Amino acid sequence: MSDGLVNMTQRRGFNLKGGGQIVGVLIAFVVICVVASLVAPQFLTSYNMTIISRDLAFIGIVAIAQGLLLLLGDIDVSIGAIAGLCGIVCTKLLVDAQLDPALAISAGLAVGAIAGAVNGAIITMFNLNSLVVTIGMLSVYSGLNLWITKGRTIVGLPKEVTVLGGGTLMGVPVPVYIMAGVFLVILFLTTKTVYGRRLYAVGNSREAAKIIGIHEQRVRITAYAVAGALAGLAGMLLCFRLVSAQASMGQSWLLPSIAAPVIGGIATTGGIGTIWGALLGAAIIAVIGNVIVLGGVDVYLQQVVTGAIVVIAVALDAITRKMGRG
Amino acid sequence: MSLLEARGITKRFPGVIALDAVDLRFERGEVHCIVGENGAGKSTLVKVLTGIYRPDEGDLHHDGEAPPAIGYVPQELNLFDHMTVAENMFLPLENGALFRRKALEEAARPFLDDLKMTCAPEDLVRDISVAEKQLLQIARALASRRSDILILDEPTASLTATEIERLFAIVEELQARGTAIVFITHRLDEVMRLHSVVSVLRNGCVVGNSDGEEVSEAWIVSKMTGKEMDLSTLYRPRTPRGAPVFRVEGLSGDGFEEISFDLHAGEVLGFAGLVGAGRSEVLQTLFGMRTPTAGQAWFDGEPWVFNKPARAISKGVMYLSEERKAHGIFPHMSVRQNVGAGLLRDVARLGVVSNAREAEATAKIIGDYRVKTASSETKIMNLSGGNQQKVLIGRGLMANPRVMIFDEPTRGIDVNAKDEIYRLMQQVAEDQQIAVVLISSEIEELLKCSNRVLSLYDGRINAEIAAEELSEERLLSSIINTGGASDATAANREDAHV
Repeated sequence: MSDGLVNMTQRRGFNLKGGGQIVGVLIAFVVICVVASLVAPQFLTSYNMTIISRDLAFIGIVAIAQGLLLLLGDIDVSIGAIAGLCGIVCTKLLVDAQLDPALAISAGLAVGAIAGAVNGAIITMFNLNSLVVTIGMLSVYSGLNLWITKGRTIVGLPKEVTVLGGGTLMGVPVPVYIMAGVFLVILFLTTKTVYGRRLYAVGNSREAAKIIGIHEQRVRITAYAVAGALAGLAGMLLCFRLVSAQASMGQSWLLPSIAAPVIGGIATTGGIGTIWGALLGAAIIAVIGNVIVLGGVDVYLQQVVTGAIVVIAVALDAITRKMGRG
Repeated sequence: MSLLEARGITKRFPGVIALDAVDLRFERGEVHCIVGENGAGKSTLVKVLTGIYRPDEGDLHHDGEAPPAIGYVPQELNLFDHMTVAENMFLPLENGALFRRKALEEAARPFLDDLKMTCAPEDLVRDISVAEKQLLQIARALASRRSDILILDEPTASLTATEIERLFAIVEELQARGTAIVFITHRLDEVMRLHSVVSVLRNGCVVGNSDGEEVSEAWIVSKMTGKEMDLSTLYRPRTPRGAPVFRVEGLSGDGFEEISFDLHAGEVLGFAGLVGAGRSEVLQTLFGMRTPTAGQAWFDGEPWVFNKPARAISKGVMYLSEERKAHGIFPHMSVRQNVGAGLLRDVARLGVVSNAREAEATAKIIGDYRVKTASSETKIMNLSGGNQQKVLIGRGLMANPRVMIFDEPTRGIDVNAKDEIYRLMQQVAEDQQIAVVLISSEIEELLKCSNRVLSLYDGRINAEIAAEELSEERLLSSIINTGGASDATAANREDAHV
């Protein structure tokens, strides 16, 4: 009897602690929204909500992609360039080859998966530092983007696909639905599947994972491929939204892709956090980006402010975590 | 008065007394050898002498005005690989001065000459041999300040015979100059060669201290082995052992050579040896974590393919790492998820994990092995070491293995949990006819649990000791390779031929 009682209370204590991270991020998100609506009356208008949610759709997808890798203790700083590459390839296929949209999008996803898998294979086969390798690959993929486009903007996308980027359904931008779908699939993948268990296991301890027979190399390469494909999806949606493709697309996604999962409680050392964190972190970044514009911050200072806020958020997270421990 | 005198030094850690009222004197011009098994308290003593630990009771006295300068050469290499020999010797440099490479190299030269080292002051440490690195650590201790006391912790571990001779010559010269040398070693021939005084530590107590005639290898072994070991409860499997599961022949690899043995179903086979004798390496090679350079093995009569752990596991071979924290648990995952990660085939269908089945398996492990945890959702890192270990063992057993390799299964685990783990090993061998391998540095553990012990020394099998011949003295002699053991090995080999 008393044992059961102890069990109950301890279990409840644990749940609060385990979910505490996410609850904290959620509270931060609500506070930021409240402050935003006080500072900028336009914040809560439906027009503004549409803008934010569309930003969130793009940032959310790349944050989820990067979050997968961070859960493994890996990172891919080239996913912005991979996004651009996929967008460009897909656009080219649609415009120049007049390919069927479904085929062109599949091809784009495949390019992303391959580009990601190449990164993962190089990193795991030679046991290299993922940051250094993907910095190199960032240059490779953005160079490819320049070479394919010759620095020119590709235009002339058909209407069937531009609606995926720019259209709305029941007042909500289409990319938001796609992002929500991605989120649900990856949440299921990480929490309910065998692959997800292996992913967390490798992120917790590569050695312990090997000892119980997990092929850590396969798990990691697969994650790089999935992240690449997701980045590709975001890149193609951006092309559809802009009705064009150009070499520099996706470059600005690097900072949010890493900052969002970290703000949401995914540790860069691996094994800690959930995909929920990546989504909430992305939402916080989207709102902050929006408030900076609404608040009338000098256009030329916006980058400074966004960067500083991200660094402060990460530091605050580390401090609260330390206090929670001690 | 002595140069340095330890009086009544006691140091406690949670659950253990590492040093128990230790009295020792260190005199100028003496080589003071300290011997003792793993865990006897040698490292704690060094840490108290060098001021890293503050003793709970007792204190250190010295006869001079100032406390004596103590130089310490640790067992592990502790150098900056990408800096020069001279830089390594004098780091941290003095404040304020400009860094003058030439002056530093000039200052280093006499120390290198003293130790008859062949490397130059400007060589990078990563390019010099392991032996030179070991000597460099000694040079550094001498250079940093004129040490009145020099503590050498197993300095010969990676030296060849000639280098050892060089080291001994240096030790004797320092001794002649009046330095007090504290020499910690497992090798009794070194003790016999160098000692002015010998102190034997056991369970944190000084059980032997002599500078007299009676000191011999036999005297040291008799002091190291105690009578108070409680062997009233044994955990050796009592059922007859079954057919051989593994046959290993002439296996060589990094850290071991020419290892041959049979492993039978239903027995506990102990692997004894000093740290670095190659025990874990042999079993890790069999398990697929390392690559062999020579040799073969058979599993159920079929040639064994040395591949990846995943393959060994598919054949029913499980390995529990000695590094439970780094290579065993998934610290930030719950107990349930830790269990599930090792049993994914059993708890999942079509790639989707069933939380219910995972929880069922976890509940069974928690119940069967009496794991103390708030719930199956607790992060495994919040469990005690013993309970973590029980979860890992339980998970391994759920997969119905044929072979379980336990590498230091009770390291860092409290006494009661130890007994439970011993009982578990016995049970799985008796009831499920699992072939159990126990790698251990604790003699008591090996004596209590093994049907048979293979003792490794310097990467080779030094002795195979059957249950009826197992005694503390016999085992210890084979581990530290004193004369008696080699005879015993020879006798044993003859037995095997008969």
